[in-house]
Amino acid sequence: MIRIVRSTIIDAPTDRVWAFLRDFNGHDRWHPAVGKSEIERNQTSDKVGCVRHFFLRDGSGLRERLLTMSDLEQTFSYCLLDTPVPLFNYVAHVRLVPVTDGDRTFWDWRCTFTTRKGEEAEMTRMVSEDIYEAGFAAVRAHLAAGSPAEARA
Amino acid sequence: MARVFVSSVINGRSDRVWARVRDFNGLPSWHPGIAESRIENGEPSDKIGCVRDFRLRNGDRIREKLLGLSDFDLFCTYSILESPMGVENYVATLRLTPVTDGERTFAEWTAEFDCAPEREAELVSNIGGGVFQGGFDALKRQFGG
Repeated sequence: MIRIVRSTIIDAPTDRVWAFLRDFNGHDRWHPAVGKSEIERNQTSDKVGCVRHFFLRDGSGLRERLLTMSDLEQTFSYCLLDTPVPLFNYVAHVRLVPVTDGDRTFWDWRCTFTTRKGEEAEMTRMVSEDIYEAGFAAVRAHLAAGSPAEARA
Repeated sequence: MARVFVSSVINGRSDRVWARVRDFNGLPSWHPGIAESRIENGEPSDKIGCVRDFRLRNGDRIREKLLGLSDFDLFCTYSILESPMGVENYVATLRLTPVTDGERTFAEWTAEFDCAPEREAELVSNIGGGVFQGGFDALKRQFGG
């Protein structure tokens, strides 16, 4: 089992960051790796159990299921159902916590998964850098710019 | 039940910040509000259940019991046994979490307690703004921001 933890401080209140993140179908508006996303069966993106079907910029498709979501704790969890890369038993957790000293946000993004022998390093790098750290940078940039994605959120 | 939540970002790696705060008898070495402290019955300060008997700079004396300590999750939970504050069922947790992009630490200090309703706002302000934020401000100075 591989365990990844990435975290950062965003210079905005948690409510602003959460408005961005809580839309489980909204990552195509801010994450640079995600091309197009839709929720299956026409469900709403805050229905626990809903599945987002999305495509990466390279055209590969993935499906992920929303496992938990809390507006009180500002957290959500999801798992991968189908993926073209060898990420198995992948469960991820996103958690926002207010930094009361400065009205900023602590954002923690973590997961566990298994993979094929020999691919541990590449899968760890991809999830840590291409997904989590790139996601941090993208949300930070969108919030700084006051982007249309935020206005729609 | 009154609740206090205060959090901050310390400019140091979480293992270094933890080394500073993990000693349940070590408040006088880093918290400016605490004058002196001892552990009762000569017990080690990381023995779960040990009691610290300490004195604030204003002269108040408080006894607190260590309920939980984790070197893995970096948290310390304790309760107040005796204090002049007028609180009941007081349980607090100090928790550190690494901020992985940069050598920083996210620090949270929470408390829950019962008290007379008319004193709640004052107690929340004194505990959160005074004791907890005062401790974080000191750590921020000690770790250079």
